[in-house]
Amino acid sequence: MTEPTSNAIGANFGKLSYLVVDDFENFRLSMRQILRNCGADKIESVANASAAVQYCAYNHVDVVLCDYNLGEGKNGQHILEELRHKKLLKRSSLFLMVTAETSKEMVMGAREYQPDGYLTKPINRAMLEKRLGGLIAQRNALLPINREIDRENFPEAISLCLQTLPSQPRYKTWLMKTLADLYYQVGDFSHALKIHDDVLSQRDLSWARLGRGKILIANQNYDEAAATLKALVSQHPDYMEAYDLLAEALEKQGRPTQAQQILEKAAEHSPNALLRHKHLAVLASSNQDMPTASKAWRQTVSLGTYSIHDNSEHYLALGQSLSDLSEGDSSNEGTAHADEALTILRRMEKRFAGQENIKLRSRIVQSRVHAGQDRMNEAQNALDSVADELDPDLMPPEACLDYAKTLFRLGREADAKGLLNALALRCSDNPPLLQKIESLLDEPVGFRQKLQARSLNREGIKAFEAGNLEEAVTTFNRALDIVPSHASLNLNLVQVLMKQYQGTAGDRELLKRCEKCLEKLADLPEQHRQHRRLISLRKKLEGMMS
Amino acid sequence: MTTNDHDELTHPRGTQSIDFSMVLASAVHDMKNSLGMLLNSLDELRQEQTDTIGDSPRFNTLQYEAERMHNDLVQLLGIYRLGENNLSAHVEEHFVPDFLAQQMARHTPLLEGMGIELAIESDDINGFFDEDLLTGVLNNTINNAIRYTKSMIKLTAAMHNDFLVIGVEDDGDGYPENMQHNGTPSFKSLNFNSGSTSLGLFFASSVAQLHSNGDRHGYIKLHNDGRLGGGVFEIWLP
Repeated sequence: MTEPTSNAIGANFGKLSYLVVDDFENFRLSMRQILRNCGADKIESVANASAAVQYCAYNHVDVVLCDYNLGEGKNGQHILEELRHKKLLKRSSLFLMVTAETSKEMVMGAREYQPDGYLTKPINRAMLEKRLGGLIAQRNALLPINREIDRENFPEAISLCLQTLPSQPRYKTWLMKTLADLYYQVGDFSHALKIHDDVLSQRDLSWARLGRGKILIANQNYDEAAATLKALVSQHPDYMEAYDLLAEALEKQGRPTQAQQILEKAAEHSPNALLRHKHLAVLASSNQDMPTASKAWRQTVSLGTYSIHDNSEHYLALGQSLSDLSEGDSSNEGTAHADEALTILRRMEKRFAGQENIKLRSRIVQSRVHAGQDRMNEAQNALDSVADELDPDLMPPEACLDYAKTLFRLGREADAKGLLNALALRCSDNPPLLQKIESLLDEPVGFRQKLQARSLNREGIKAFEAGNLEEAVTTFNRALDIVPSHASLNLNLVQVLMKQYQGTAGDRELLKRCEKCLEKLADLPEQHRQHRRLISLRKKLEGMMS
Repeated sequence: MTTNDHDELTHPRGTQSIDFSMVLASAVHDMKNSLGMLLNSLDELRQEQTDTIGDSPRFNTLQYEAERMHNDLVQLLGIYRLGENNLSAHVEEHFVPDFLAQQMARHTPLLEGMGIELAIESDDINGFFDEDLLTGVLNNTINNAIRYTKSMIKLTAAMHNDFLVIGVEDDGDGYPENMQHNGTPSFKSLNFNSGSTSLGLFFASSVAQLHSNGDRHGYIKLHNDGRLGGGVFEIWLP
């Protein structure tokens, strides 16, 4: 028999400061009245996001009651993200989202910051008193822990959690989740795993399975993580965080295509999650799936309009993938993509006008877009407009890389290669960048050709493995027609030709063709992944020729 | 109160043919939101005009019926998602008395207006369930009890045979013989002619089923053996 929330609630309400955010004056007034009736005293109310952020920047607020739908402009989720991101709201403060329509789309939009609770309109006094009263009681009980987390004193927070667990069974789930998360933060994965295993040994709870998956990934146990998360997703098709983690596990397992499919499904379910769309966009780009990448970047850009996560990189990436998509495509669709790319890039120049290199980055891509539409004059003009900034020694590496890509499209191959070689020297201590340089040197063509060459390469390998040497040679040659300087393709061909030579009665012609392939790779830099293979094949060939 | 209905629909892409249930669900979603706004206004009106409205039966009917429609629509959307295989129970551990108190709070203004007493009788226990789904079930059940009770409604919670049993009792005439059962009403057995579609029971039973622990699943039970003398709705959660 209980009166669940304590009678001292009035006192609880009275000690705290409140901020009400709603665009309707009537609602602000009635909320203020309800709060007063509950015993609250320090209440401020504002009508929009910027006023809310402004207020929190200069005042301490314990409880924010924020309407989700604030008309044009930023919504409640944007405010929450901004407040938490800029650390204008402490972890020990409560953020309650008020919704007229509880929409899944919105609830699932968030990938990081989530509100401490939801209030569903209509709100009456009894409801607010119970709901908020309960949260305040929880806040007070957990305040010492949250305070340590705010101070990033995680070890202390962990021991407080452990102390609190036996005395506060009411908040057991919160404590277990927080504890597991804290262990994760300090890198103590075995304790974090144990928490989830303990919970799961008593009952199959989805949050614990999710947590387990997260730790398994951190422990680089990708196979088990993927299996766990796959099962979770199939049981809970509406659990978006599980999709995110599953995609991560699949990616780390080396299954980028499957990872992309998972994220596509998740993005469809939660059309408002910027970071999820961004993750999908990055993945699809690296999978050379430019239509999907463009779509996802487009979504990322548009969701960024009012978001703290907005970034010029999203615009640039959208411009780049649209450029890839439109290249050499003079159909209506192709020109539309090219036009969209130019529009987006111009918008980026305006929106991020103060940012360093923004015009440079924009014009490099614009030039490529024009070139892809066979407008060489415009392509040149775009580069001329930033001529004074196009200094390979001063440009940031990523811009250099992009510039080289444009130079290839403009038919200035020698310039592009020179630029990339210089860049490789300059950034010899940056392996990811070196890899990008290699890929560009290997495949300085559009994504469609890239995909074609890659699939031919796979076919060639298959034919070789099946013993169809003649077919392998033809296939590799077809691939090399598309990407003549591709290092591993050339070496593949050399290997097949050598094998053919061994099978024939010394057909010297075959060896000459090998020689030609290796000559093409004469200036392959030492740090290239294929360099060792090149050296050993070269030695072998010399042996066979002598 | 947290969100009580996962109901936003994903937008179909690139499909030209009309998916009628999808169209219907979108329309229901829209209506539900409108009713939400209407209910909000009614609540505010009651607060502003306490003197004139007070216990006006007509105002109570207005609010009650709007509430009922709102619940029905929430359930329709739930059932739609069930059919789409897109509804699952996100079970977490909750402190049951707190949960019941929140459920009660939502109905307080209407109950006060109608002069119905609402009490909670719960052990201090933690229970495992999906808060949002159960909120949907209890909203509807309490609403139903409001319709049939004379003067009192009681929310109960206790553990029986390793099941968490949450009950809603009233002091009305009780359930008719043919409705008393435990188990799952199938969709086919719903009788649209009797005026009562039992949509709420179907939803409640589906939500109970979604809750499982090992090989045990939840179920609902209707009987008249309560201490208030009227109907008793029970949801048994493993």
